[in-house]
Amino acid sequence: MLQATRRHHYSPPWGDASIIGVAGSSGSGKTSLALAIVAQLNLPWVVIMSMDSFYKPLTPEQSRKAFLNEYDFDAPEAIDFDILVERLRDIKQGKVAEVPMYSFEKHARLPQTTTIYSPHVLILEGIFALHDQRVLDMLDLKIFAEADADLCLSRRLVRDVKERGRDIEGCIKQWFGFVKPNFHKYVAPQREIADVIIPRGIENKVAISMVSDQIQKTLSHKSAAHQLELRRLGKIAEESPLSPNALVLKETNQVRGVHSLLMNTVTSREDYIFYFDRMIAMLIEKAIDFLPFQPHQVVTPQGNVYMGLRKSAEVSAVVILRGGSALETGLRRTIPDCQTGRILIQTNYRTGEPELHYRALPLDLAKSGLVLLLDSQMSTGGAALMAVRVLVDHGVPEDRILFVTYLAGHVGVNRVLGVFPDVRVVVARLGDDMEDRWVETRYLGC
Amino acid sequence: MASGPHNQAPSKSVGPEYRPDTQKPMATVSTALSHENVHILPQTPQLIALLTMIRDKNTGRADFIFYSNRIIRLLVEEGLNHLPVVEQTITTPVGRTYSGVKFEGKICGVSIMRAGEAMEQGLRDCCRSVRIGKILIQRDEETSKPKLYYDKLPEDISDRWVLLLDPMLATGGSALMAVEVLIARGVPENHILFLNLIASPEGAKNFAERFPKVRVVTAFVDIGLDQKNYIVPGLGDFGDRFYTM
Repeated sequence: MLQATRRHHYSPPWGDASIIGVAGSSGSGKTSLALAIVAQLNLPWVVIMSMDSFYKPLTPEQSRKAFLNEYDFDAPEAIDFDILVERLRDIKQGKVAEVPMYSFEKHARLPQTTTIYSPHVLILEGIFALHDQRVLDMLDLKIFAEADADLCLSRRLVRDVKERGRDIEGCIKQWFGFVKPNFHKYVAPQREIADVIIPRGIENKVAISMVSDQIQKTLSHKSAAHQLELRRLGKIAEESPLSPNALVLKETNQVRGVHSLLMNTVTSREDYIFYFDRMIAMLIEKAIDFLPFQPHQVVTPQGNVYMGLRKSAEVSAVVILRGGSALETGLRRTIPDCQTGRILIQTNYRTGEPELHYRALPLDLAKSGLVLLLDSQMSTGGAALMAVRVLVDHGVPEDRILFVTYLAGHVGVNRVLGVFPDVRVVVARLGDDMEDRWVETRYLGC
Repeated sequence: MASGPHNQAPSKSVGPEYRPDTQKPMATVSTALSHENVHILPQTPQLIALLTMIRDKNTGRADFIFYSNRIIRLLVEEGLNHLPVVEQTITTPVGRTYSGVKFEGKICGVSIMRAGEAMEQGLRDCCRSVRIGKILIQRDEETSKPKLYYDKLPEDISDRWVLLLDPMLATGGSALMAVEVLIARGVPENHILFLNLIASPEGAKNFAERFPKVRVVTAFVDIGLDQKNYIVPGLGDFGDRFYTM
């Protein structure tokens, strides 16, 4: 059956990340400056990425030189710009970026990586942050940090000896052999193309708050655009009939009776929890029917053959905090050892905008046969949409995502399924549109 | 029609409706029965997979208990649907009305010892503080007929709906005798629900003929019985696998 499902576009606030480049001489206070800006903003979606992570791995010969302080770390050739550009592109597009880790003690790239995902604003700091044209093309703001050369040398000495395990003679050798000549050759010219030049590093409180204000402005702009995006999708959702991928639990007498107990405000909390767990166990049983199964022949203790089925992939779950945690008892009743990830999405009480604060996902989530995304209630569908986007960004195919919830409305469901038409929603009861959240409040008691 | 273990087991592709038939795996599903009082659970791939687990002789006791409990909960949920309800309108926490229902009538569980007792946990998972009576029926060595050895039932059982528990329905000898005991205590025939995991067509037929008003809720009807009156393919001795093996 050929059915043309229209797919609407959704751009999360991290979908078009802003990138700020901070360049400057070694010891000019770039890092402290970036840290001060981030500290002032104090938001999880403003993130620093240091170019130090992108040092090229050294050949044995280069490594030998490095330990003798004869390798030039302060030339652009030491930086792996190709990988840097690739990762910046990922971040710019809102994808998951695996950033390499570099050990200054070993002069080598470590096997592990750090993950950067979903920053709305990324601060890229490094002596050559404004060097490569491909990087420059992605920057929204170019900053050059300036400091007195004596100050730079003394800061560098302190840092390299204290934090990077070097000796003083080696550091001085590097400074006059590489750092100083390279500064004039490569670093200083970046000053000319910077939008802002900040002297005196972190002492420059005025400059820090100017940059923070600029970022704040960018953030509010992104937030407004995101809210507009959600409203646009809401309007489309209202006007279209309920998606066929929304499956509602069959209204048997028991299901109606349990709904009546759950919705009745005079039901005690003890009863509420008992009946909610029971309802969710039923809902999970329905949801995991979507697992792939394959024929499987077994022999009974009496030696008879039975041609049955066996699931051919595992189920994982991702709990949307905090509402989704109310579904975990029901989940574990059916799948006690279910691999479970967690993401915290909170709705900003001022703007009503959902915000992604935290995520801890199983490593091989993308390989699961089915990923159950759990939330106790879907109201506007904004948080749900964001959560599905997070899973898709982490490589989970849309048709393996199953959103499981107790209560949802037409608009919320359509808002999610309009953007991700291959996702399925399994819901115990279809309620009003945009119903205020009450399900988890009653379950958790606060 | 002579039913026996040589009947053809019905095979079907199973899976959710949205999936095309070619993508649904084939499996043996429950034999269909025409008795009005026999209710067979929907043959979902999930249910078939659970039954596959507990039929497999290589499944250990811990898994056997866990997976049979999951099926039992599905049985209890389905069984409870046959109990009466009254319409009731609810005001929801957001001030809207919901036309719901209220459960009506008292219930109790009665397990046929020992295998039926294995179903008590599943019942309590759905009905927290339900009363549970017990009946012990064993085959008399001399007459090879079932004989009632023991029963302990709630005193007001005649006022209650009874969920009679026994996982395996072979010839139905003990289950029929248990129903006789209940009726003798004043329980109306149509207030008895027999919850059962695997039934034989013979057992279901005996039930339908003797007590057509007793509702039988089962997960699966197998193809028949062997010479020793074991269900084929069955799953072995449920009590042994649950309690001692």
